[in-house]
Formats: sequence, C-alpha cells, structure tokens
Amino acid sequence: MLLYAVRRILAIIPTLLLVSAISFVIIQMQPGSFMDRYLEDPRMSPETVERINAQLGLDKSPAEQYVRWLGGIITRGDLGYSFYSNRPVVRVVGEAFGWTVLLGVITLLFTWIVAIPLGIITALRRNGITDFIASFIGYIGLAIPDFLLALLLVALVLQSGGTQVGGLFSPQFIAAPWSFAKVLDFLGHIWIPVLAVGTAGVATIMRQMRANLLDVLNADYVRTARGKGLQERKVINRHAVRNAINPLVSMAGLSLPEIINGTMIVSIVLSLPTLGPALYDSLLAKDQYVAMTVLLLASLLLMIGNLLADLSLAALDPRVRYE
Amino acid sequence: MAYLRRILPALLFALLIAGANAQKHTVDYSGMGLEPGQQGGTMTLALGAAPPTFMYYADLGSDSKLVIQHIFDSLVEFDLETYEIVPGLAESWEISDDGTTYTFHLREGVTWHDGEPFTAEDVVFTYNEIIRNPEARAGDVAQFQFTVDGEQQEVEITAVDDMTVEMVLPAPSAAFLLQQRFPIMPKHKLLDFTVEGGAEASAINDAWPTDVDPSEVVGTGPFRLAQWVPGQMAVLERNDNFWKVDSAGTQLPYLDRLEYVIATGTEAQTAQFLAGNVDQLNITGAQFPDFKSREVQGADFVVVSSDALFGSPPHLAFNFDAEDPELAQLFGNHEFRRAMEHAVDRQRIIEDVYNGLAQLPGTPTAPADGTFYEDTTDLLNPFDLEAAAAALDELGVVDTDSDGIRNLPGGGNFEFTLTYGNDSQEFTDIATILQNDFEQIGVRANLQGIQAANLLSTGLAGDFEAIIVALGNQPDPELRKPIWQPGGSLYYWHRSTQGEDGANFDAMADWEERIWEIFDRGTVEMDSDARRELYAEWQRLNAEYAPVIMIAKQQNIAAVYDHVNNFVYSLGVIPGYNPTALFWVSE
Repeated sequence: MLLYAVRRILAIIPTLLLVSAISFVIIQMQPGSFMDRYLEDPRMSPETVERINAQLGLDKSPAEQYVRWLGGIITRGDLGYSFYSNRPVVRVVGEAFGWTVLLGVITLLFTWIVAIPLGIITALRRNGITDFIASFIGYIGLAIPDFLLALLLVALVLQSGGTQVGGLFSPQFIAAPWSFAKVLDFLGHIWIPVLAVGTAGVATIMRQMRANLLDVLNADYVRTARGKGLQERKVINRHAVRNAINPLVSMAGLSLPEIINGTMIVSIVLSLPTLGPALYDSLLAKDQYVAMTVLLLASLLLMIGNLLADLSLAALDPRVRYE
Repeated sequence: MAYLRRILPALLFALLIAGANAQKHTVDYSGMGLEPGQQGGTMTLALGAAPPTFMYYADLGSDSKLVIQHIFDSLVEFDLETYEIVPGLAESWEISDDGTTYTFHLREGVTWHDGEPFTAEDVVFTYNEIIRNPEARAGDVAQFQFTVDGEQQEVEITAVDDMTVEMVLPAPSAAFLLQQRFPIMPKHKLLDFTVEGGAEASAINDAWPTDVDPSEVVGTGPFRLAQWVPGQMAVLERNDNFWKVDSAGTQLPYLDRLEYVIATGTEAQTAQFLAGNVDQLNITGAQFPDFKSREVQGADFVVVSSDALFGSPPHLAFNFDAEDPELAQLFGNHEFRRAMEHAVDRQRIIEDVYNGLAQLPGTPTAPADGTFYEDTTDLLNPFDLEAAAAALDELGVVDTDSDGIRNLPGGGNFEFTLTYGNDSQEFTDIATILQNDFEQIGVRANLQGIQAANLLSTGLAGDFEAIIVALGNQPDPELRKPIWQPGGSLYYWHRSTQGEDGANFDAMADWEERIWEIFDRGTVEMDSDARRELYAEWQRLNAEYAPVIMIAKQQNIAAVYDHVNNFVYSLGVIPGYNPTALFWVSE
C-alpha cells in the first residue's frame, strides 16, 4: 500500500511535465504576443518593443523559454515572472489563492451536503413528488451553464431591489476590517456563486447517489437485514447507504480540482478575486507563466485528488487492494 | 487683552491657512457650469480589471492608470473646457524665439504626499531617469529624440535652480509643450529603482507593484493611495495639501475618498451601477435606451451626453497590399474606395448603432476639436447605392456571370473578408449593416469576427482584406502622426509605404506624398495658423482620397447619480485631463 502510494506520487512528476509542455505549446499557438495590445500606443517605438521583449525573454525561442522556466522551477522553486504585473507569479497567484480555495470549499461542501441527503430521499421515495421536483431542478441546474445562472441570479437580485450584485462584499465593506456586519454582507454575496456553481454538481451527485442506493436496496443483504427484523432506519443507514456511498468516494477525489476550476468562469462574471479572473487575464494578455502556473496547479490538484480517492477507497472497501 | 489672547491663536491660524492658500492655484470652471462645492463624502467608480502595478511608467494598459492618474500631476494640463494647455506643476514657462529652449518655472510650496518638498530635481529625475529610460515599459524615449540632418540628437533637460527646469531641443517641435503631460514622480522614493541610483535600467518596472505599502506611492496629486484590496478595490484618500483651490477658496479635491471597485465587463458594471454601488459609469450608445428609460421612469440618476474630442471613431479600411493582387490593385485605387463610401450608410449607423448619439466623422479630426477640425462633411460621399453601383461599373467591376455578385476583371467573384471585433456590439452591428448594403450592390463581404483587442495587431500584420478599426482622436494631429502619416508605424492599410529606414516613397501615391510632407512640416512649424492650414489640407485630402472610410464619431455618454455634482465626463485616462478633483457629493 505504502509502496503503491509512493509510486503514484512519483508518477505525478512526469505527468506534470507533460501537462506543462502541452499547455506551453497551446499558449504559444495563440496568435500574437504580450506586446501586441500596446502597439497603438503612440509612445511605443519598435525599439522599445524590442527592448521589452528582450527584458522578458520573449526574444528567445519558445523551446528555450520553456526550458528556462522549467529550470527556474526545478533549481530555485521559481514559478516565473508575471509580465503583466511586474512581479513573481507566486505573488500574483498567492493573492487569489485564499479566496479561490475558500469559495471552492464552500461550494463543494454545499454540493455534497445538499446532494447526498437528496439522493437518499429521492431513492427512498422513488417516483414520488419529492423525487420529481428534485430531479427536475437538478436537470435544469445541469442544463444551464453556471455563468448564465449567476447572471440570472444577479438580475433577479437587481429586480427585487437588492444591492449585493457581484463581488464578495459591498463597496463599503471591502476595505473595512472584519466585523459581524461584514460577515453578513459576505454571506449576502457568496450565495450567488455557490448556488450557480453548486447546482450542476448537486444534480450529478444526487443522481449518482440515487442510482447507487436503488441498486443496493435490491441487494440480497438488505433483504436479509430486513428479514432479520432490523429497524428500517438501521437498514438504510447502516447497510444500504454505507455501501451505496462507496463509489462516490472516487467522485469526491476527482472533484478536488473543482476547488480551483469550478468557480473560474463564475468568478469572471461576478468579478470575484479568485484565480479565475487571474487565469483569464493572463491568457488574454499572454502573460504565459501565470497561465502555466494556474494550469499546473489545477492538474496537480486533479492528480492528488485522484490518488486520495484511490487510497481512501482502499481504506473504506476491504475488497479493493493495490499491489 | 485677554480677549486678544483668546482669539490670537485663531487669528494666527486663519492667517496661516490664508498664507498657505494664497500660494495655491485657483481653478474656475463656472463657464462649464461647475459651482464651488462642499468637502467630504465618498465616490465609488468601477474598474474593469485589477491594476497590474502602481508604477505609471511600468504599465501600458489603462486599468492601472485609471487609479494612478489621481495620485500625480504633470507640468502642464488640459483646460477641461477648451482643451488648451494650462499650467500644472509648472506655474509658467517661456519658449525661446527659435522654439528650441523651454524654461519651466515650477509652482512654489507644492509637497509630496509624505511632506517632502517638490523641486526641479524631481522633474529632471522623472524625465531623465524614467520617461527617457528605454527599458521603462511605458516610457517615451522617442519624444525626446530628434533627427536633425540625418543625425539623432537628444533633448537636454536640466535643473537651472530649485524651481526652474530647462529643456533644450535640437530643433523646434510644435507639439512639444502639449506632450509635457507626463506625471512627475518623487525622486526620494524611486531613486533606488533607476540607473542614477545604481540599479539596472529595467528595475523601474519593478517599483511599486500592487502589493507595495501604499504609503510608498507618493505623488503631488489630488488623492493619495490609501489601500489596495487585491482583486477587489483601490481606495484613494484626499490630499489635504493639494495645490488647487476652487473659486471660493475651498481646498480641492472636495471628495474625502475615491474608491475603485473591480467589476469586469459591461454587465457587471451596469449591475453595480443600477444597484447603487457605483456612482458613475461611462456607457455606450447601445446602452443608452435602457439607462435613459430608467431615468425617465424616475431613477435617481441622469444620463448625460456631450460631443467628444477624445474617443475612437471607427473606420473601414481596405488593404492596399492585400495578398490577392487583383484585390490589392482595386483597394489601392481611391476611386474604388470612394465608390464603396457611397455604400456606407453613416446615417443609419448613427441612428441604429449609436441611437443617434454620434455625428458625421471628421477625416479624421474630431468635430469637437475647436483648433484643428476642418469641416469636410460636404466632401464625404453620401449613402447612395445607385451611385456606388455606377462607380463600380465604371471601374470595370461588373457582374459578368449574372450570379448577383460582381466579378473582378480576372473573372473571379468580387468578394473579400471583412474583419471586425465580434466581442463588441458596436463593431458587430456596423459590420452587419455594411455587409447587407454591400450585398445590394453585388459586393460580397464575408464577415470574420476576432477579438476587438486584436484588431489593430491584425491590421499591422497586414492579415486582412477589409477591416473595421477604431483609432483614438487627440487634440493635436502631431500626436497621431504614426497613424496618419503614410509610412508611419501604424499606417497599416498601406504597409508597403513603411520602408526599412523611414518612409518608402516609391510605394506612395501623389496624395500620400503630400500628406507625408504635411506631417513633416507640421512637426516643426511653430506658427499656429500655418499649422492649422497644413492640417486642414490633410483632412481635405483624406476626405477626397479616403485612405480609410471614416464612419461616425460617437458622443461621450455617462450615467451619474443625482448626488454627484460638478460631473465632467472623462474618457478613462487622458493624461492632463482629470476633472475628479472637482466632483463633490451632496448628502
């Protein structure tokens, strides 16, 4: 088991290398360069463009740029320099990381806390009115893109005379120190992205849970448990749900990168200070090392999530063994 | 006696204040309807993206400058009403008779936000160590390099004494004074980031990143940086020692706080405005009906519009050097372009795209430019599809195979791609209108949408057949020379005029050579009437030969809440044009 974990962790390194190479190639394939957007500026002489390109290392071949960047990471842990922000990438990404994780975790918690009980209820009351309503809302949530849902919610708030539209706080609270009122204001804002991003996830997990539980409910050992005369609550909680939830563990692991990825587009639409706008701006500005770092971070989380899922599955399910 | 003792401190204090204010500069814009206001209050504005830095000369974009412009001042400024050059940090100046020596007398008693006195040393430092540093990303070296008799010479900038700066030019330059709207930086804070302070030339770009201690970022301007909340908001606070007072003697700026909240995109900014979180928003003609109807229905804001000098009027350009030789030959022919001008329905674009909040364009000077605008509207070809069709027939571009599309002399269908910005409603609407009208005269334009931000670079790469681009107006044609002088670095529709070293005259038509001469003369001509006449001729030539087909000049439109007073429109960042110190809010 330990050996397996170590092997998996070591396998992350070549995968990350591959991911970084592919993303670098794709970023390089974008037309234009970092300097393009400034060309109309009457002050930009061709000499200045050349000098700035040299200053940023953009005069080197893409292969050399990539190798130098990679070298920086390996030898100095240096993730590169943000052309756009004139400071190390670590500081750019670091600023947005906290809010990203907070928002991602709240959304994930919301998704799971809502989805699992809903899945259980809809399985137990199969084809009932609860099942129908929950499934209906779930499908709508799946069908509407999250950013559209966010915009709709914002429009709804505006229509009803609300002022908490976009951002994490109202302007008067942004620069204020933490207080009870600020927390309330935060809660007044945060529900829009959480709901917009979470709804699709709720639908997926709810359906999965429902299907698993329905399978298990027909299993022999559940019939046996009932036949023994166990209370229905114990049958469901101790036997059925426990077995039904196993496959969801790997889903949970795979949803780890959602902490970063899930809220990206919604963050752009709602102007949230997360990695979403940072990645978007860096792709538009061709601020390549910021984009690379965010992409690498997301793939790293995906692989860690994958690993955690496999390990916890092994811990939970005695049938699963890794050699 | 006791009474005197009691009031003496108050008297002294009053004298002190009066003494301090006596040196201050009084601004009076009653001609624009601006009234003396009250101090206090907060105003919140929207910012499209987080500023990448607080170093003005390290960023070419406008997001950072929107914030930074309030922190600094320049030697000269624009008059808000007339766009004339008026004193800024330079209280007065003299220009020698030969037009080569500029002597600036600096304002006494100006201090940096941290209390240090402002002197000529700061000015010389800013120019020589930052603006003229070729590695400063938003520096401006070329402004201070002159080519005299084929030789490159530099402007000399020196401090004559503590309060006097002298700039000696190798040759006269008509727009030189107008250019001196560079924000002046504090030497005592930035010396370590310059070559003079022992750093590398590129180090200036690393000064004042957004996570710097805000108290490090000191200027002389109306506001000082108080706080930056990453990704969310920039907070500016009043500079109590600012050097301007209003006509009633009240210290400017009026506002206690100026906040910029990050809201990305039109939808987000509109939502924040309608929710009352943002006090003022610049909007477009397309958004006008929505905002206006809310105003009429009793919302507590007003929508104001005015003729604009700044701002970017769109034009339609044909690539004289298109890859297809037949197209290139046609596009390079001014009779063709004039024919196509007949198929450009400016009036409809003004009505439908801008909701009437636009006017016929200058060619290309803005009609609001009181100095240089030459009225060429009589020379523009009006919308007339029959005339367009007849002119195309004349050029031999006729439909020979009766498929509804005209044919080139070589026999192929006359069609071309029309590149436009598909993330801009304005460009998309214009492109569609053009495409439809062109279709009517048997000309097929295949639309190709790209990001509006990439339009110019696509144009500069010559990678287009026809394109819609918008380039900004400035108060002096000299400032737009790289765009409009044939062979200039931004003269993208006829790139073969750009030679290896300077212009390639072989590729120029006669009228282009004349325009080249006009701009060459305009740079050194010091007599303002003579300059006006030169540029008037250029505008007439542009109307007559239509190097590009100017489409319309939009108005400035803004939505402002009723509690904001003295509002003056300002289009993002125009160095030297910053009315914010005059805004005030009522309870």
